[in-house]
Amino acid sequence: MKFLLQFSRLIDAISEAVGRAAIWLVLIAVLISAGNAVIRKAFNVSSNAFLEIQWYLFAAMFLLGAGYTMLRQGHVKIDVILGRFSKRTQIKVEIFGIVCFLFPFVIQVIRLSWPLVTQAYVSGEMSENAGGLIRWPVYALIPVGFALLGLQGVSELIKRIGFLAGQCPDPTQPIQNKTAEEELAEEIRKRQVDPEVVSMVEAADAMVADKRVKEVRP
Amino acid sequence: MTEFLIANMAPVMFLGLVVFLLMGYSVAFALAACGLFFGFLGVHLGMLPEALMHALPLRIIGILKNDTLLAIPFFTFMGLILERSGMAEDLLDTIGQLFGPIRGGLAYATIFVGAMLAATTGVVAASVISMGLISLPIMLRYGYDRQLASGVIAASGTLAQIIPPSLVLIVIADQLGRSVGDLYAGAFLPGFILTMLYVGWVFTVSMLRPAAAPALPPEARTIREDDGSSGNRSLLALTVLSVGAAIVFAQLRPEGAPKDETIVVSMCVGIGVAFGLAVLNRFLKLGLLSRMAERVTFVLIPPLALIFLVLGTIFIGIATPTEGGAMGAVGALAMAISRRRLTVKLTKQAMDATLKLSSFVLFILLGATVFSLTFNAVDGHLWVEHLLTGLPGGQIGFLIIVNILVFLLAFFLDFFELAFIIIPLLAPVADKMGIDLVWFGILMAVNMQTSFMHPPFGFALFYLRSVAPHSKYLDRITKKEIAPVTTGQIYWGAVPFVVIQVVMVGILIAFPQLVMGNLDKRQAVDLDTIQLEAAPSDWGLKDEEEAKPDKEGEGKQDEDPAAALLRDMANEAKAKK
Repeated sequence: MKFLLQFSRLIDAISEAVGRAAIWLVLIAVLISAGNAVIRKAFNVSSNAFLEIQWYLFAAMFLLGAGYTMLRQGHVKIDVILGRFSKRTQIKVEIFGIVCFLFPFVIQVIRLSWPLVTQAYVSGEMSENAGGLIRWPVYALIPVGFALLGLQGVSELIKRIGFLAGQCPDPTQPIQNKTAEEELAEEIRKRQVDPEVVSMVEAADAMVADKRVKEVRP
Repeated sequence: MTEFLIANMAPVMFLGLVVFLLMGYSVAFALAACGLFFGFLGVHLGMLPEALMHALPLRIIGILKNDTLLAIPFFTFMGLILERSGMAEDLLDTIGQLFGPIRGGLAYATIFVGAMLAATTGVVAASVISMGLISLPIMLRYGYDRQLASGVIAASGTLAQIIPPSLVLIVIADQLGRSVGDLYAGAFLPGFILTMLYVGWVFTVSMLRPAAAPALPPEARTIREDDGSSGNRSLLALTVLSVGAAIVFAQLRPEGAPKDETIVVSMCVGIGVAFGLAVLNRFLKLGLLSRMAERVTFVLIPPLALIFLVLGTIFIGIATPTEGGAMGAVGALAMAISRRRLTVKLTKQAMDATLKLSSFVLFILLGATVFSLTFNAVDGHLWVEHLLTGLPGGQIGFLIIVNILVFLLAFFLDFFELAFIIIPLLAPVADKMGIDLVWFGILMAVNMQTSFMHPPFGFALFYLRSVAPHSKYLDRITKKEIAPVTTGQIYWGAVPFVVIQVVMVGILIAFPQLVMGNLDKRQAVDLDTIQLEAAPSDWGLKDEEEAKPDKEGEGKQDEDPAAALLRDMANEAKAKK
């Protein structure tokens, strides 16, 4: 079990690292798209490569970020019913979900998309647009993204089994100390140096603890 | 048993979906698992071709290539940067001061700012948190009815769902195969009317029960002239001047200029005049404007400029929604820098949240794709169609039943789930019944807005609860003890606004022209952009369109010869069976 938990920590570290790198794709995509729009309007020049790199970046963003999103419990659940059960039951259902829902999906997509990638690589498939980009890297993002997702699924599975065996803390607690919403609330409070507001911080902190139990959504 | 299953595969699969979803594991994976499970069951029973799932990778590539969905991270990033730029706080402070002295004024200010934030940040959680922290304590201080105060805040926050650039509308547009620009144009008037209905409700309450929404006492005003006057006259003069400038400019436009372009450009001119005057006044120390006038101008102009940068360019048609989103994101960064609020940490947080949101939304879409692949293969779409076309009352009967269904589902599902699961099932039927899909999409969007306000799971209520006072506290100004806001008050406060939402759905069903009027006008006037509008769901660049004929709307996933081949194979296999 100890070895498995170590393995799970390694996977978490990988997902974390990939996620930290992938977030920059957001900014790059924004800048390229805005720059491309301005140049197109102002000078009436445009290149297919710049248009296509946008969706390459978009694909990289959400596919490579999938494992990281799972690490941060970002994939939304409907916990209307499940939320009423005990923690252990919830964890057991999640184990079922990882094994019976997540893994088959991941395996199927990798299995089905892999031939497409090799085929595109071998044939050197290019975009059908003039000046477009080569295709295999973006096709390859599909199996790579799903592999990262599956890997994170393995880690989540280990953590949940570890929890049931009493060997690790509750894996459903968010890793981050604060959600974006809590940070926003705190910042507004800080700026409004209002005693009345400050007095509410205490109450809100109680709420934060309460909210941790619930699920984090954007 | 097997025969029963084969004959009733579609309903069984739908029931299976409900069970899978309610189990409580991530929606995206439950959807995919449901599709895979019933797909293999179908293959095993000999109902479906073996190659069924082989179309999946091409579907996924179709999603990657989708230009429309690219707008999701852009608008999300823009909103996240803006919510931390301090814009919301400035707006709430200033507009609260401006409207405060009239009865119900703070509530009006909340609605007004809610609509402004909806058109810029578009993040429900951020709007509700800002208003809950800034406006709620002031309303409590001056004795506003707690239910009214919390209801107004929660409802105004959800305006972000219907007022462009809303993410919901992007997703709905994608699912309906219509252009985002059309949905934005269609949502414009309904969003405005909805805001007015909120205002109307506050007005009614303040007339019937003046104590529920009192005016701020004079001593509560912090922005005033040295002689104690409000300075509103100066603001009025400035407003008249800039509106006048806009009208004069509009008159000077050449005959035959597109009407929407004239409106957008003239508004820009009016705003520019006000801003120019305020800047001149400040730097030359002319003293022509009151403090209030200057404050309001400087607070309102940046968000208005951003709205025109993003929505104006999309409405006129010079930018695609994706480009508009990217420009807006850059604009938001510029605004945050100018307010000295942009830090590396904040940027990283915004990028991080954007990444996670894009990932979870797109994975729900991927899961829904797997589901619909199987569901359509077992003729689920025909089953749904059969089920819904059999309803009494034709179009209206269909719309009423469907809206009741979505209203009830909104208690449990949030809008991404509704949009990806329910809309693809309903849209083909609506289309077949001759219902305009833009109209249908807007109806759904207004209805889904309730998913944020339904107690006890509505997110707006959840976020308001997290920032509203939990225990009694001593007010700083009045030195009076203020009781906490109870959860019951928040829930009951939302009820009138949920009712307003239902009324709005009714209005839209009764008057489709509220949605379509905007579209028809655009098409009638904009002869030269018709070409652009004729290509649905592809707001590709006009000059790129000729170069890339393959990117035409619906054909996206079918354009690949391999996909077509696979489909044919699947059809053949099905025919053989």
